[in-house]
Amino acid sequence: MTQTSTIAGEESGFGERFDSWVLERVRRRRGPTELPRTLEYRHIYIMPTRFGYWFGALLALTALGGLNFNNNMTLMLAFLLAAIAQLTTLLAYRNLAGIRIDAIRAGPIFAGEPACFRVFLKNPEERGRFAIQAVSPEGQDCTDIAAQHSGQLKILQTSGQRGWMQLGPFRIENRYPLGLFRAWTVVIPTAKCLVYPKPAPNPPALPKTGRGDSGTARLGEGEHFHGLREFQTGDPLRRIAWRTSARHQKLYSRVMESPREDACELNWYLMGQGDTEEKLSILAAWVLRAERRQIPYSLELPGGALPAGLGEDHRDACLEILALHK
Amino acid sequence: MNDPGRNSTLWLLATLILAMSPQAISMPPLVLVTVLFPLFWRIGSELRNWKPLPALVRHGATAVALVTLFLSYGDLSGRRAAVSLLTVMLALKLMECYRIRDARLVICFSLFLCATQFLFNQGIVMPFYAGATVILALVTLTQLHRAEAWAEAWRHEGEPPAVKASLFAELSFSFRLLALAIPVSLAFFVLFPRLANPLWGIPDTTLDSKSGLSDSMSPGSIQNLFMDDSPAFRVKFSGPVPPAEQLYWRGPVFWRYDGQTWKGGFYGRNIDAADLPEPGNSAWDYSVQLEPNERKWLFALDYPASIPSDSRLTLDYQLIRRQPVIQLIQYGIVSNPDFIDTPELSAPLRFQALDLPENRNPRARDLVERWRQQFPGDAELVQRVLGHFNREPFYYSLEAPLLGTHAVDEFLFDTRTGFCEHYASTFAVMMRMAGIPARIVTGYQGGWHSERGDYLLVRQSDAHAWAEVWLQGRGWTRVDPTAAVAPLRVQQGSLGALDSPRHLLDYPWLRGLRNSADLIQQRWNDWVIEYGAGRQARLFSSFGLDYMSPVMLVSVLFLAIAVFSAIVFPVVLRIKGPGQKDPIQHAWQKFLKQLAKAGFTGLPSDGAIELAEAAALVLPSDSAAINNIARLYTRSRYAAVPPPFADLKQAVRDFRPKKNGG
Repeated sequence: MTQTSTIAGEESGFGERFDSWVLERVRRRRGPTELPRTLEYRHIYIMPTRFGYWFGALLALTALGGLNFNNNMTLMLAFLLAAIAQLTTLLAYRNLAGIRIDAIRAGPIFAGEPACFRVFLKNPEERGRFAIQAVSPEGQDCTDIAAQHSGQLKILQTSGQRGWMQLGPFRIENRYPLGLFRAWTVVIPTAKCLVYPKPAPNPPALPKTGRGDSGTARLGEGEHFHGLREFQTGDPLRRIAWRTSARHQKLYSRVMESPREDACELNWYLMGQGDTEEKLSILAAWVLRAERRQIPYSLELPGGALPAGLGEDHRDACLEILALHK
Repeated sequence: MNDPGRNSTLWLLATLILAMSPQAISMPPLVLVTVLFPLFWRIGSELRNWKPLPALVRHGATAVALVTLFLSYGDLSGRRAAVSLLTVMLALKLMECYRIRDARLVICFSLFLCATQFLFNQGIVMPFYAGATVILALVTLTQLHRAEAWAEAWRHEGEPPAVKASLFAELSFSFRLLALAIPVSLAFFVLFPRLANPLWGIPDTTLDSKSGLSDSMSPGSIQNLFMDDSPAFRVKFSGPVPPAEQLYWRGPVFWRYDGQTWKGGFYGRNIDAADLPEPGNSAWDYSVQLEPNERKWLFALDYPASIPSDSRLTLDYQLIRRQPVIQLIQYGIVSNPDFIDTPELSAPLRFQALDLPENRNPRARDLVERWRQQFPGDAELVQRVLGHFNREPFYYSLEAPLLGTHAVDEFLFDTRTGFCEHYASTFAVMMRMAGIPARIVTGYQGGWHSERGDYLLVRQSDAHAWAEVWLQGRGWTRVDPTAAVAPLRVQQGSLGALDSPRHLLDYPWLRGLRNSADLIQQRWNDWVIEYGAGRQARLFSSFGLDYMSPVMLVSVLFLAIAVFSAIVFPVVLRIKGPGQKDPIQHAWQKFLKQLAKAGFTGLPSDGAIELAEAAALVLPSDSAAINNIARLYTRSRYAAVPPPFADLKQAVRDFRPKKNGG
């Protein structure tokens, strides 16, 4: 579980310290964010961006010059820009308020890969939302949400460890409309992502210790004769049974089959001594390989066992057992 | 990464071009070239996808631009030069402005550049210029914000890109933002504590855009001003306006003559307090609103009986301000026209007022000596010379030939065509030849009286020069030789005395229009430009608050902001932002409105086709049109090859259902 104390962003120094202070405060006061959550004024913070500070400094300078020379138009321009900046705080807030965070979900991944959490947002109101961003330590994403539409933001998070990975806190923010102010809300999600063990890069060959009764023969390729059928376009010429065809005035091709392969038994106890993680990672690699080769496989390890099978569901179930192995 | 994109770069260029335009107009042409080169290059590079320039070219262009700037201005401490420097740097920055951060920097400094323009001009057009610049800057910042938000995002595959906003939507969003900010900024403007005294002064060396009368007079110097119709000052009289023949606005007085040019006088010597005229019975009481000219002289009618603050009165009754006038100022003054200036002329002054260069103008000297013998009295001689100007064929004209070494001779006997400075100068020289002390006074004469605004507008083109002679018993006496040649000059103003227009656009009706339009400028000056610590204090005293400390002012300011915010914020919260409306949906909504008007309202759950069927039942006479629109709408939405939007738009526009049952 990675829980950084700050959510990285463009800001540094004071901005970063302020962000971490806000995060701590939210964590202490409110705890994890319950979904669905409609963003309200008490969830939304506003601070100037770095550009906003510079802009303010330039305005202050202009106003000072205007005051000193008693140049009223210069003063007026500075005041006007300041008032516009003030209004944008309201617009930034308004662009965020009312958005509903419906759910945060991520599909399982293998350790070492980035998990892609999808944050599902709904804009229930009659106006569009512009450039809503999600900012997490590993990057950011941006989306516009039209009136009464929903949108998605992606948050990537990488983990080296198998098991459940908790999504770290992130911000949903926007700098609409001028980039002078940043309005944001902190989300401390409870969303989790299942992390499978990282498959061993060079696993040993699949064990062949299974019982053959559950294996299935595969037709088509292979060396053993299975039967005859009428020729179909596309059948290789060498498969045509010329003698039989000559007898029946019709073309027949031979159907071949590969030998019945035994289901393989992926068994923890048969792997000998070794590091637990290493063994799990080899088992994961085996599961993938057996699935790819369409060899039925069973899994057995302390705390869980699955009978032989094939298919994505079976694979995922096996990987989950491996991921959650204690 | 972090590329602002073509769209926002084009907006950026538009902002910068607008912001720099007033400065560009007043730049030396060579400096302007160094500004235009990077500007045009960048426009071309955006439209034609040119590659960024190599560093060598960029640095070379920068060096060339800076050298040109330095050579053109000589010294970069002047205000014009400093602002030109800012402009040049901003233009050069365009050559390497490829990141959002750089683009924002250029926008911020474009706004700053816009603010600096108020140092030179606070006229009524400036708010429009500033407003337009701010709107363009806001559009650019909006675009940059979008570019920034999307630049670092992981783009979702196959998802729609950012909502595209139309040009109109962008502009109107920025315009609304600006309009909504005005109440709060006005509150700031009125209530923000002002400085009664500047925190730091402005060194004289920074003044490099002097205008108006100069500190010397040579043939042609006033003639140049004659082409300039910009206002010099405005005067409000508390009583009736004096007649035109009395409106001699006294400016720089010149004593020294070198054969061509009249120069300096007694700037250093102030008048004794005892010699200050009494404001007699026939005194004029008026206040002058002087446009900035970066010079120190103030203008008053003869003879100022009071001295405005921060200024002094010299021996020859010139009002001189301690600081150059770098922005609009207002001063009240009382003048006594009946005052006798210098009843007794001291010997050094008399010597100064008779001094002439040697060996010049022999013909004039002969003529004057002949007249002197005929007219021993000074006053009679003055009349004789004026009579000469009046009776002989002298012309008042802009096309005065150049004069050589014996300027007075040539003018008096050969060319006989000139402007007021020729007549004043010739007259003063002839007086000195005759032994009558004489000096030149420059200033303005007359002015245009605005009936509606009840003020007198004096333009640069009203600049004038006349002479003063010292007569025993009458002191320094004003003599205007131009009046002898062209009496209309004094009665009707400088333009009335000329037969031909000064330039292509010089028509009486246009001049009248311009004069009337000046009323707006005068009000603007009165209410906005002149607003300062004093005006602020007066505003509050009219509410019965005699003194407002800065703390109180700021508290009132916050109160006002709160009140304005309560009004403005609900409006702001309704702003939808620069997103484009869905045109198909818009057309459909219009169609539904028409149906509702005709008496049919569908269920919200109905799809387009169901709705059309139901509507056709209610409005049978329009069923064909209704079905057509519904079909077009559905196909626009869902067909693989949608029909052109214009079809739907046209169909909806033509749809005029007859009222149900009517």
